[in-house]
Amino acid sequence: MKKYISLAAVLGIVWCFIHGTFLGIVWCFIHGTFLGIVWCFIHGTFSFNSFIFGLLIGLVCIRPFRFLYKPESNFNLFSPPSRIISIIRYFVVLIKEIIKANIVVAKIVLKPKIDINPGIIAVPIRCKTDLGITAIANTITLTPGTITVDISDNKSLLYVHCIDASDPDAVAASIRNGLEKYVLEAFE
Amino acid sequence: MINTVLNVLSDIVLLIGLFFVFLGMLGLLRLPDAYNRLHATSKIATLGAFGVMLSIVLRTGFTPLGVKAIAVGLFLLLTAPIAAHMITRAAHRHGVGLCKESVVDEYGKACKLSKK
Repeated sequence: MKKYISLAAVLGIVWCFIHGTFLGIVWCFIHGTFLGIVWCFIHGTFSFNSFIFGLLIGLVCIRPFRFLYKPESNFNLFSPPSRIISIIRYFVVLIKEIIKANIVVAKIVLKPKIDINPGIIAVPIRCKTDLGITAIANTITLTPGTITVDISDNKSLLYVHCIDASDPDAVAASIRNGLEKYVLEAFE
Repeated sequence: MINTVLNVLSDIVLLIGLFFVFLGMLGLLRLPDAYNRLHATSKIATLGAFGVMLSIVLRTGFTPLGVKAIAVGLFLLLTAPIAAHMITRAAHRHGVGLCKESVVDEYGKACKLSKK
């Protein structure tokens, strides 16, 4: 076990050199803890050995993809407690919407004659940060009869494929008032 | 006593999950075009698979098998929307048309505008 600890320390210092700043060791710590916990879940046993093993494998695996995201952008790890409450509220609303979505689509599938008016509509969004946009896009895909297709170049419109697009304004309004409010509270 | 209750509950959740998987596959067969079929597979089949995972957790508890099932369920909920989004976008960019019942296509209009 001592061998693993010294290995992790050496890897942290190497990580510092790869990254080029002292911040590297902070990020090594944060990502390593997260990936270690994920490995514990995948492996099925919560022990110190499997945690360190996952940490080492995870750091090596995520290094090639480092250029894909900017850590300093927008998620504050030490968020105030009020945000944690709104994140919990967001997940409660999300679960409710997922169940509703399934019942709506299941009804459409089970009808003897399929009678739908699908279409791709543009929905204006208020979220500005990348994290907020990702959250709202994923939420839209999981909720009744809507799938996110793409985002416009200036990040102000989401193109949403809707299984019942006979009234585009009503769909856009339900997204704006129902879901985006919670996403704005939780992630921005 | 509590074991029996958990087992019965796990059976019920398993049945619900399998029913939703069945509905997802039925939607895949019956709905008209690629986009509508993705509605069925991305939502209903995801909840169905999540239900099966939940029933495993209820039956085995926090053994290695149950913990793995929790991880698989969470990854399903995270990745299914992204897969659906990428497939719809790829289909649209390759020129897969919407079915004839469709009423609007603002994304197609926006793509044409940006090309000019």
